[in-house]
Amino acid sequence: MSDSKQGDGPKKDHGVLYIGMDLGTSRTSVSASNGVRETVYSMVGYPKDVVSQKLLKKDVLFGKEALEKRLSLKLYKPLEKGVLKYSGDGSMDAEAKANLKAAQDLIGEAIRLAKPRKDELVYCVIGAPAEASVKNREAIIEAARAHVDSVMLCSEPFSVAYGLDWLEDVLVIDIGAGTTDLCRMHGTMPEEADQVMFDIAGDAVDAELSRRIEQTCPGAQFTIHMVKDIKERWGFVGEASERCMVDLPVDGKPTPFDLTEQIRSACSILVEPIVKGIHKLVASFDPEFQTRLKNRVLLAGGGSMVKGLDSAVEKAMKERLGSGKVIRIEEPIYGGANGALKIAHDMPADFWEQLR
Amino acid sequence: MASFKDTLKDAVRQLSFKTSLDSLKKKGVQQVSVLGLDRIISLIEAAVHRSLKSRLVGIEREAVADATKAEFLRLLRSNEDLQRQKSEVEEARERAEDEIDTLRRELTQNNQALQLKLEQDALALATRYEGENAEIAKKVAAVVAGLAQTPGATATTVEQRLMELVMDVVSGERQSAEEARRALHDREVDNLQRRIKKLNDNLAATEQRLQQVAALKDVEGGISSVYREVQGLATGDAQVGKKKELMGEIFKANLKLQKKDKPGA
Ligand SMILES: Nc1ncnc2c1ncn2[C@@H]1O[C@H](COP(=O)(O)OP(=O)(O)OP(=O)(O)O)[C@@H](O)[C@H]1O
Ligand SMILES: [Mg+2]
Repeated sequence: MSDSKQGDGPKKDHGVLYIGMDLGTSRTSVSASNGVRETVYSMVGYPKDVVSQKLLKKDVLFGKEALEKRLSLKLYKPLEKGVLKYSGDGSMDAEAKANLKAAQDLIGEAIRLAKPRKDELVYCVIGAPAEASVKNREAIIEAARAHVDSVMLCSEPFSVAYGLDWLEDVLVIDIGAGTTDLCRMHGTMPEEADQVMFDIAGDAVDAELSRRIEQTCPGAQFTIHMVKDIKERWGFVGEASERCMVDLPVDGKPTPFDLTEQIRSACSILVEPIVKGIHKLVASFDPEFQTRLKNRVLLAGGGSMVKGLDSAVEKAMKERLGSGKVIRIEEPIYGGANGALKIAHDMPADFWEQLR
Repeated sequence: MASFKDTLKDAVRQLSFKTSLDSLKKKGVQQVSVLGLDRIISLIEAAVHRSLKSRLVGIEREAVADATKAEFLRLLRSNEDLQRQKSEVEEARERAEDEIDTLRRELTQNNQALQLKLEQDALALATRYEGENAEIAKKVAAVVAGLAQTPGATATTVEQRLMELVMDVVSGERQSAEEARRALHDREVDNLQRRIKKLNDNLAATEQRLQQVAALKDVEGGISSVYREVQGLATGDAQVGKKKELMGEIFKANLKLQKKDKPGA
């Protein structure tokens, strides 16, 4: 800390808390300079009626708890498809308004999860989906402002790369729930041409796996949540290191099924569009730096935890692009939040001051 | 006889109560006349024993009150520890609430136990005064023993007269003892009730403090940052130039984004 620049703006009594936040479709994660790291499913629920409210003893529930109590809640996933659901054209209907409120409550909850002290200066960087519209960004800012002293948005792939000190010529692939986002970073903020986005991501894998189980396991009973759990436990591409034996109820009785092939094929749907996207972003890059870019591919997001995905992408790149090196970041869930935290730390004091 | 009378007079003066013979007779001269020395001594013994027992009851009661107090202090201390563990405040509060519940239950139990003791005490009260007369009775017994060896005084007459006077003393003593006893009883009950009130007050105070602790969670229950000051890029960073440029870009984009909506800007 001795080598750090000192802030000269007004200070609160105690310290300065930096919060990095990754606002995702499926989960929102925070990483803070007090050592806190938390993640919450991006779900917000409000009691359906007075009876539910009395029963739940809460006005709003978040994450897993909201999911578990969903029968007595009106449940929102306010960041569906990676972007705040907020049309922003002034003609918001009631549902859009409710969604915006859910997003704001979620941001508030994420900040609370970081356990800030009231007497500390709180500066927050939020990694927002690169494609979020200006109105969406404004809504995010507005929601965060209520809880922190100063807030900045940055693009999520940038924060992931920055977290690893890879500032230039990096290709970040963020495999989330709703979307997979490819982003070419060349030192500046990404532009439209630097990005490729498609909706073959975690949720699509779940849907595919569920379809395959339905086709191949007659009588098996399951929900999409169970399928997601199975994927997160077993998900792989390429060589199977073990058979995926999963118990599913048949007529109420747990019955073992070998889902190895179903899981492999479902997870494999991720590979092709990723390689295609990489191809597009590499081919349109400065020829001098194409090789460097190909060797600096980062896999991030929860979906990157599919086993063997890095090797599979690398293999396909070698076949089609001549070379490729893919690295899976160490903490896919916190990659964005950790990077955002680092940006917050590195941001000069007067920049923070000007945005207060 | 003069010395006998004097001694009795002294005893009577000491005990400061007088009753008419008539009223004494009404109260039990018939029985008194058959009381021998041995009987008096055995009565005295029984009274002393009972009195001792009654005193034990008092000690037990003290012990109960002390134990309650000690237990309460222990709980209080554990509650104070609790305040220190802010990060676990929720869990700790629940635990403390349980403890308070236990404490409250114990207090009720103690209250009941106390009530029982007091009732037992009331029973003991009926015989207690006899014990308190032990001193006098002993004196009297000594006088009687001395007189028995005095020629001219038949044991029966002496005994009869002595008993009349003893009963005089006893009934007087009985009254004063009862008054004293009642006063004492009131004081003890008072003390115990005060102690219980104190326990209750402490309980309320602890509960209030717990509420404050719980409230603290929202007020300042966070976890401190490792930074005391705004940081910024470390000058020794290998890519400091590039990073500065990037920070500037992020800032500019945010300035553009936020200026518009900023209230009063
Ligand atoms: N171990 C795992 N193996 C495979 N997939 C996983 C694993 N853990 C989580 N996932 C999947 O990762 C996805 C969520 O990833 P992440 O938390 O990065 O999404 P997000 O950032 O909220 O979404 P988006 O980037 O679309 O906004 C979900 O589809 C989840 O099922
Ligand atoms: Mg994400």
